[in-house]
This record gives sequence, structure tokens and C-alpha cells, in this order.
Amino acid sequence: MPVHESDICVIGGGITAVMLIERLAELKPNLKITAVEAGRSIFDRENRGTYHRRALEYGEHPWHDDYIEDQQAKGMISMTMAVGGQALHWGGACNRFSEEDLRLRSMYGLADDWPIDWTELEKFYVQAERRLNVAGDPSPYSEDRRSGPYPQAAMPLSYNLQVLKQWAEQSGLKFSPLPMSRNVSAPFDGRGACGLYDTCGDVCPTGARYSPDYTYQQLIAAKKITLHDRMLVRKLVLADGKDTIAAAHGYHQDRPNEMTEYRAKLFVLASGQCWSPHLLLLSANARFPNGIANRSGLVGRYMNGHKFISAQATIDEQTFPGQNMTHSLISREFFRCATNRPFVRHDTRVWESSAGKEPRLRSADGRLLLGDELLDDWRSRALKGSSVRLRAYYDSHPSADSRLTLDQTSKNRYGDPMPKIDRQLDAAAIAREGATLAHCTGVFERMAKASNGRLTGKPSVSNYWDHPAGGCRMGVDPAKSVCDSFGRTHDHENLWVIGAPTLPTGGCTNGTLTFVAVSMRSAVKISEVV
Amino acid sequence: MKRRTLLQWLASTAASWPLMRADLSALDLATAQELQPDQIFVLHDVAATVLPSSIGRQGQDDAVGNFLKWLREYKEGVALSHGYGEPRLVKSGPSPRSGYLNQLSALQQAAQARGGRFGALPIDVRRELLEAAFKAADVRNLPGRPDGKHVVADLMAHYFRSSDANDLCYNARIGRNTYRAIRVTTVRPQPLNGGRGL
Repeated sequence: MPVHESDICVIGGGITAVMLIERLAELKPNLKITAVEAGRSIFDRENRGTYHRRALEYGEHPWHDDYIEDQQAKGMISMTMAVGGQALHWGGACNRFSEEDLRLRSMYGLADDWPIDWTELEKFYVQAERRLNVAGDPSPYSEDRRSGPYPQAAMPLSYNLQVLKQWAEQSGLKFSPLPMSRNVSAPFDGRGACGLYDTCGDVCPTGARYSPDYTYQQLIAAKKITLHDRMLVRKLVLADGKDTIAAAHGYHQDRPNEMTEYRAKLFVLASGQCWSPHLLLLSANARFPNGIANRSGLVGRYMNGHKFISAQATIDEQTFPGQNMTHSLISREFFRCATNRPFVRHDTRVWESSAGKEPRLRSADGRLLLGDELLDDWRSRALKGSSVRLRAYYDSHPSADSRLTLDQTSKNRYGDPMPKIDRQLDAAAIAREGATLAHCTGVFERMAKASNGRLTGKPSVSNYWDHPAGGCRMGVDPAKSVCDSFGRTHDHENLWVIGAPTLPTGGCTNGTLTFVAVSMRSAVKISEVV
Repeated sequence: MKRRTLLQWLASTAASWPLMRADLSALDLATAQELQPDQIFVLHDVAATVLPSSIGRQGQDDAVGNFLKWLREYKEGVALSHGYGEPRLVKSGPSPRSGYLNQLSALQQAAQARGGRFGALPIDVRRELLEAAFKAADVRNLPGRPDGKHVVADLMAHYFRSSDANDLCYNARIGRNTYRAIRVTTVRPQPLNGGRGL
């Protein structure tokens, strides 16, 4: 049986794992760190221009074999399992949560407070933004105080977004360019500058949008980590007679019958909101029959994220769809909610859009359009005002029954039950769903009123929760949480969980920056104890 | 078919169709590996009807060439975008080549039955032929990208969904999904040369 020993074994290879490892390597340069990832390394950046073209022309997935067919979860929003994780193809949105997210119980009597002080977390946001080279402008809302500037000025607004900002702000809301992890005008940290291919959410040909594979390659080249990819960790094993973790057992995709043992002083579970609680549940044993780190019974519970409401509007101003469709405007107006008013919190986002103004084969009366007729029909719609895409991520508090469980009807090649995630709102959140939709519809209608605008169709609520998190919630009380505020599990002193799984609630805006910020905070504490 | 034989055949075929627009020099012979030469002629002929006249003959021939390149580089069994939210694994299907061959032959035969070359028929007859072809192939809308249902709808989708067509529609140098300097996008896009097509 192959055995690998290290100071720290990190299980999972996504963005929080690599940020944690990079920071640990700075804080304790001599640490021996092994990273174990079930998926493969996709270190072929030289091909990404081709992948970009083929994704556009053929709809091909630009990250070849970034999934394991029999290692999939019901309720998971992405199939990707590879070194770099879902951040291989994220959009790069880097907006912060707000202080209210950390104080929901004390301010509103809802959900739970986080065991972190906002002022402290804010400093880690600054660190995370520096590493991700976030381009952003200071928020126009004074409550969004920052202790350090963004490393880059915001991504310049396209002509379209300038038009839309002017339109949207007539509603009284203040909008800013969405902070993004994109090298705007110059290369940074081995990645190129933005070429505005506008396919950030699929593949970035220049590497301008942050992608963890670059950092992994740098860490490997500098011999800061040993990376074992295509190695699925199926079990955490306790030390004899102790509650500490002695080993992690992995199986390589090419050697499914051979177990590899990873021994370490400290284990970090960095496998995201799905596979982190899944491994803990899979690792149940006689002393922890409900799963490792699960004396509280809360592993796999309070699965969160946020739902969202989408709408389209039309306005009189002319825009030119295709300038920069992955860039957007954000208003943080409704991050705050007065405590004496009905609770609703959400971000408000605006994008250029070509909805309803695409070329079509038939006219409204069903006539087949050919050549010049088709172009004339297209122009008659496209050159008459603009479409605008609107969306609000809203605060969606999970119940304890918002769960990840082991699905005995779906098993991988080893016979391990796969995860099944069923997200549920808590009672208060269910009760305000109608009011939330009405509120967001009202905001969108208020925005649309300017420039002779109107909503096209009724705003719709998402059928999934975006930026999923939870499953190993942090807290002070071991009876009510899985880990402390740094991710150290209450039940095992040398087992830590980092990033998304530790969040008690999922906020009302993109989550990745927050996942990274809390992981940066974990890195400091881990470096102190290892 | 040997290259010289092919050229002789193409020349004789073109001579028999006095109104044929596509000249031999415009043909990318490599595309003959994908479709038969007479079918490529039909495609060029149909392009004059289904693509905008404002891009000119050269533009239409280029659009056909780009479409044939798309066909030539098509890969079967490749994982398509998994999607986000409710992901699923879908792989690309068989090459649409054989379906295209049949559809172009059928279109050619249908045109001959109605009096000759497709492009020489009255526009109402051309529309009627395409309506019938699209109905048989269950083409109801312009595909988001070529989907193999019908070669003519796919040619149209390949052009009209392109960045070039988007620019033509707006008469503006937008350059969607192409490499651009950010500063270029911060101002109202410049019109195309001479406001062509407007």
C-alpha cells in the first residue's frame, strides 16, 4: 500500500484549497503540503484559444474530462471535478457580503449569526481581493467601508453599460461596475490581460480571469506542494483510541483496487459544499456512527446558497449587444434592510441583453424569412430600443432540513452512496417568499419606468440555489455547529473544513470571494497550530 | 475523384447552368471531402437566397466556406457544455454530413422538378421548396447554432448567429466574442464601412 506523509493533507483542489495552500506556504515555508484531488489536472493553457472557439462554434465543453461520470450528486449545480474546481469556469464576480450577513440573528431575529466579527473578516476580503487581483471601484454606499483599496480600478464600463447605468440610476438606486477578478489592462501573476473575448464563464483564452490552475502550477513549480490528482479520497480514518484523524484513504482512477494512505499531522477538507460533508458522512465508524465530525448531527444540514429572481426589460435607448456581455452593474441598495420593516435583502444586477432581438426564421405571422427579409426583420426589432437583463440574488435562509444525505440508490464504482442535496428554506423564509418576489418585481418595475421602459413578462424565481454553501456550518457551540469560526471541527482537533461548507448562510450576492476570504482566515490559524 | 477530373466535371456542370454564380476559383476543393461538388454548388446557389444580398457575392461565398469549414471540423462524441444549475452530460452526435448530402440532393431534385436551378426559380417557389424541406426536417426556428436538422437552416444559423452578422445588423463594429481592446468597447461602436447595408 503506497503511503504518503506530510504536515498537512488538503483534500480537494478548488479555489479555496489553492488559496489556503498558497497562504500557508508563505506563512510556514517549510511545511510539507500534499493536495489530493479526485479530478484531473487540466494544465493545457496553450489550447484555450482553440477551446474558446470550439465552445462558441460547436457548444463543446472547454474543460475536457473535467468530470467523473459515476461521481455525481443529485442537486449539485455543476458536474466539474478537476484541479481548479468550478473556478475553472467561474465568471470572476468578486462582490463582498455585508455586515448584515454575519448578524442576521442579532439584527433581525432570523437564521443565525456567524461567529466572526465583520471588521476582522473585512481584512481577509482585502487579502483575497489582492490575490485575485480584483478590479473594482469603491461602493457608492457609505456602509460598504473598506480598509484597503481594490488592487485595480474597475473594469471600464462598455458604452452599453454606461447607457444602462444612466437608465437604471433614474430609479434612485446607485450602481457600480461589478468587481471582477480580471486582469484589466496588464498581465498579473503569470496570467495575461483581458482581451474581452467575453466568455469568462466558459473559458478565458488569456487567463485574465483568475483561474486556480495557474496557481497550482506555480506552487508545483516552486515545490511548495505535492499534488495528487485523479485520486478520490473515500474515507477519513481515526487514530487508534483517539479522536484525531490518522489518515485519509484514496484510490487512483487508474488503480481502483489499490488504496493509497495519506498520513498527516493535520487534514484540511477543502472539497466544497457537496463533497466535504459527503466525505464526513461516508467516513462513519463505530465511534462516530453518524459520520466524522458529526456529534452535533449537523454535517450535511443547513445547505444554503441563494435563490434569485430574473427579469427582462425593454427601454428606448439604443445599445449594441455583444460589447461586453459578461460585465454588469450592481446595486447594493438592498443589502441593508431596516429592522422595523419587512425583511428582504438582495443585490440588483443589470446586464446588456439581446433577448427578443435575435435573428429569427419566421416573422410574427409565421412567414418564412429569407436573406434580406430576415435581416430586415432582425433590424426592425434590434434597432428599436434595447433589452436589459435584470437579476436579484436574495437572502434565502436554510432550515436544518436543507440537507445533503447519502443516496443509497446511486452509488459509484466502489459502492459508495452518492450525495443527494435537497435545499429547503426555513419557515420564516418560506413565509416571506411572496413578499420577496413582489418587492423585487417592484424594484425592477421602478427601474424600467425610466426611458419608456417596461418589463417583458413576469419576473421568475430560480429553480436552484446559486453559489451553494453550507453542510459543515461554523459556530461557537459544538451542539449547534460542526466547526469553529476557523473551520476546525469541534470533534477532531486536527481536522479542518474550509470555505463554502462552513458558511451558516449564503448571503445575497456571489459567494466565491467570501469562500476565499474565510479560507484565508483559516490559513492563518492553521499556520499557528500546525 | 482525381483533382483534374473534378475540375473538368465542375466546369462542365457550371457551363450547363448559365446563371450559376459560384465560380470555380471560389470553391475550396478540400470541402469536397465533406460534400459532393454538385452539392456544394447547390449550397452556394441557395446561399444567394437565404443570406443577405448586402454582403455581396463574395460575402455569401465566404459564409458558405465558413460553414463547410465548420462541417469539416465537426467532432463526434465530444462532451458539450454541461450547463450550470441543472447540469447534464450530453455528447455531440454523429456528423450531419450524410443528412446534408441527402437534403441537398433532394433540394436539387425538387428545384429541377419545378423548372431548373434553385436560384433561378421565382422567389415564391424557392420559399415553397424551403418551407417543405424545413417542415420535413422539423425546423421551426433558427437554430442557436447548426444542429444537423437541415443544411439550409444550419447555413443560415451559422451566418446569422455570427459576430459578422451581428455587426451587419447593427451597422456597428461590435466584434462580439472576438479579441478586442477594452477601450474600444467604452465608446459607441463605429459604423461599418460606408454604412453598408443600411
